[in-house]
Amino acid sequence: MSLELVFRVLVFPGFTFISLLTLICDWVERKIEARMQNRMGPTYTGKAGILQPFADFTKLLAKEDIVPRDSKKIFFKFAPIIAFSIFTFAIFFMPIDGANVLTNSSFEGDLVFVLSLVLIANFFLFLSGWASTNPYSVIGATRVLTQFLGYDIPLFILALAPAFLANSLSFSTIASAQNIPFAILIPWAFILFIATLQAELEKDPFDIPHAETEIVGGYETEYSGRRLAFLKLAKDTQIVLGAAIAVELYLGGPYGPVLFGLPEPSYALWFIVKVLFVVLITEYLTCVFARLRIDQVVVGNWKVLLPLSIVSLMLTIAVVVFSQLMGQGMM
Amino acid sequence: MSEKEQEILQKLREELGDRIIQVQTTRNEKLLIQVKIGAHKDAIRKLLNEDRNAGVSAITGVDLGDVISIMYHIRVHGDVITIKVEVPKENAKTTTICDIIPGADFHEREVSDLFGVTFEGHPNPKRLILPDDWPQNIFPLRKDVETANLIRTLDSRKSLYNEKNVAEGENVKIVFGPQHPALIEPEMFSLEVDGEIVKRVEPRIGYVHRGIEKATEQRTYLQNIYLVERICGICNACHAACFCQTVEEIMGLNIPARAKYLRTIILELNRIHSHMLLLGHAGTEIGYETFFHYMWRDREPIMDVVEMLTGNRVLASFITIGGVRRDIDEKMIPKIKEKLAILKNKLPFYKNLFENDPTIKMRTKNVGILSRKDALKLCVVGPVARGSGVKMDVRKDEPYAAYGEIPFNMVTYDDGDSWARLMVRLDEISEGLDIIEYALENLPSGPYRVRAPRVVPAGEAIDRVEAPRGELFYYIKSNNTAYPERVKVRTPTFSNIRSFVNIAEGSNIADIPASLVSLDPCFSCTDR
Repeated sequence: MSLELVFRVLVFPGFTFISLLTLICDWVERKIEARMQNRMGPTYTGKAGILQPFADFTKLLAKEDIVPRDSKKIFFKFAPIIAFSIFTFAIFFMPIDGANVLTNSSFEGDLVFVLSLVLIANFFLFLSGWASTNPYSVIGATRVLTQFLGYDIPLFILALAPAFLANSLSFSTIASAQNIPFAILIPWAFILFIATLQAELEKDPFDIPHAETEIVGGYETEYSGRRLAFLKLAKDTQIVLGAAIAVELYLGGPYGPVLFGLPEPSYALWFIVKVLFVVLITEYLTCVFARLRIDQVVVGNWKVLLPLSIVSLMLTIAVVVFSQLMGQGMM
Repeated sequence: MSEKEQEILQKLREELGDRIIQVQTTRNEKLLIQVKIGAHKDAIRKLLNEDRNAGVSAITGVDLGDVISIMYHIRVHGDVITIKVEVPKENAKTTTICDIIPGADFHEREVSDLFGVTFEGHPNPKRLILPDDWPQNIFPLRKDVETANLIRTLDSRKSLYNEKNVAEGENVKIVFGPQHPALIEPEMFSLEVDGEIVKRVEPRIGYVHRGIEKATEQRTYLQNIYLVERICGICNACHAACFCQTVEEIMGLNIPARAKYLRTIILELNRIHSHMLLLGHAGTEIGYETFFHYMWRDREPIMDVVEMLTGNRVLASFITIGGVRRDIDEKMIPKIKEKLAILKNKLPFYKNLFENDPTIKMRTKNVGILSRKDALKLCVVGPVARGSGVKMDVRKDEPYAAYGEIPFNMVTYDDGDSWARLMVRLDEISEGLDIIEYALENLPSGPYRVRAPRVVPAGEAIDRVEAPRGELFYYIKSNNTAYPERVKVRTPTFSNIRSFVNIAEGSNIADIPASLVSLDPCFSCTDR
């Protein structure tokens, strides 16, 4: 029993699986973006460059690790690793092969818990920049927080819409309640959720904390070597986490037709396919937009995204109440 | 001398009386008026009142032995009139004209750096081109400075430049450059920011100053063609064209009609590929990488045409004194047209993108506004001026090569923002394609070059070319040898960069790269 738990945590669907998925997502992203921009993308390492993210990661691990003299050492050293582990930990609450990584760890309210973890992890990304005491890093870090203030509330509200439909605050229940994916039932909320997710993942048109032409590397500027590797990995894990949340809430979670009579592997397969689908959407959006300005994003979030998300939540509640009334009427 | 110039000269005589020492014309019939020290300001004021679009084109210093002559080249009615003062070398002092025309700022600082002339009353008399730890009384363009000694002096100095990055007061100082991902070339802008708002900008250039003006004095005219081409890789043909035109005018050499058309073709190819490079670059600055990759992909056919025509992809080495270096092959013409058609078909897509894409508009519309008034005051040139509604184009004002015979439109936009400046360039690409097509169809037959003598008779000439980034200015003084006495190059970016201070102050940090790139700065040009 305990051996199976160790296997689940360390290998599948735990740490190793998540890390591999992260690296593959990174490769898919780069490849899609390159093809859309009429480029090749990675080709050299492995078949069609599939090992490129892994090569980049290991290369960074071997590089010199410099800690600036004036930095706040403790935060500077540990913030990237903590951010990475929080993002990974949050994925543990996603039903990947029909169950969570830790079986039966799902509880009523883990949706709120995971979203809070995202907030904390983002705060650590801010800390990593702030601790560098480099003007570019500090501005990049404040941009992370400023942007987060704008999209956090809409993200939360939009995550609640499926919860109302499924009448639960647990990922497993919401995922398994979707005989028809919620993206089809409440498409307005799904579209808004993807837009907010784009901001959460700091991708164009919202990749303001990374605007390299303005503030060099943003909060990553002073990082090098293995800490930079972990910072990059944390960002990639965040993309997987964001995509996974979208999958669980709106695309029916890991559930789909069972293939070859093997429920668990086919669930995991569906999960990967759906995550890649969300990555595809976000990459598409990245490619067709220019980067906005921080003030434009904040104004847009508060004046457009927030009211719209409240309206869409109300609309969803109205649909739920209406269908319940209809159901009672028929009985 | 035209009637207009006669009239202006008459007015100047009335205004200045006996303070005018001498009236000359250069080899190409440009008015050159020498006045007494102190009278230059009145003369310039008079010229500026003459034409609303007037501005300072360049300020040239020439070492004449005991005196340094300072020439103020003023652009009046699209032509250049020069006011000259001579100051003694021992006590080189004159009064600034920045208070009547702020665009003279950088020009005066340059002369001050390179010739040691003090401009009294200059608002910001800091070093612009030379490093801050340059020895106090060595002025590199003076004739008594030997290059070999200079190197020895510089190698033995100890001090190193060190600026503190802490601003006084509340504001954070962000150093934008000399190394920065948004800048491909080294230059520095210190920005004082309050939150995301830029409060003050202090530009600094000269990081890659190569002393090309000094180097030209040690090379023959023929060698100098290749040297001036290397002032700027992107607009190399413009530099070669301007240099050769100026020399030809001193010699009184008429080049064949076919050479004029071939020069026009290469100059327009130059303009198109430079504009496309800039537009793609603007894409990365506003975080629109897809646009960047598309634009640079579509620039490739143009580079292929340049290679077909000249044998080189970038540095053309095509124009020479007396014409061009190789003829176009008749078989090449349909191939070139084919390549140009590829680009022509894609232009409506980009135009539509710029006019309708919401994110591009959000990032460039009403960003980095340079009003028409400021544009004139700061003497900007080229697409920057045309984006602010100033009708100024050397190709129209004073046609060179075959531009007088080819119909084309001058593109202007009145908005004065980054968007307008980028749109000017986008429209100029399609104008350029039409010009090339017309030139190819109406290519005159005959020789493509005439032989020019190696020795150039004594004289001086001023010439201008509309480079992709704006008016390019050359002044050459010859002394009846194979080596020039003085070559002055004023590149378009040198005139434009001063306006960035006005554009950037009060704007958002995020808009800095987008508005800087819309000026199309070329710093290797600026740091000759």
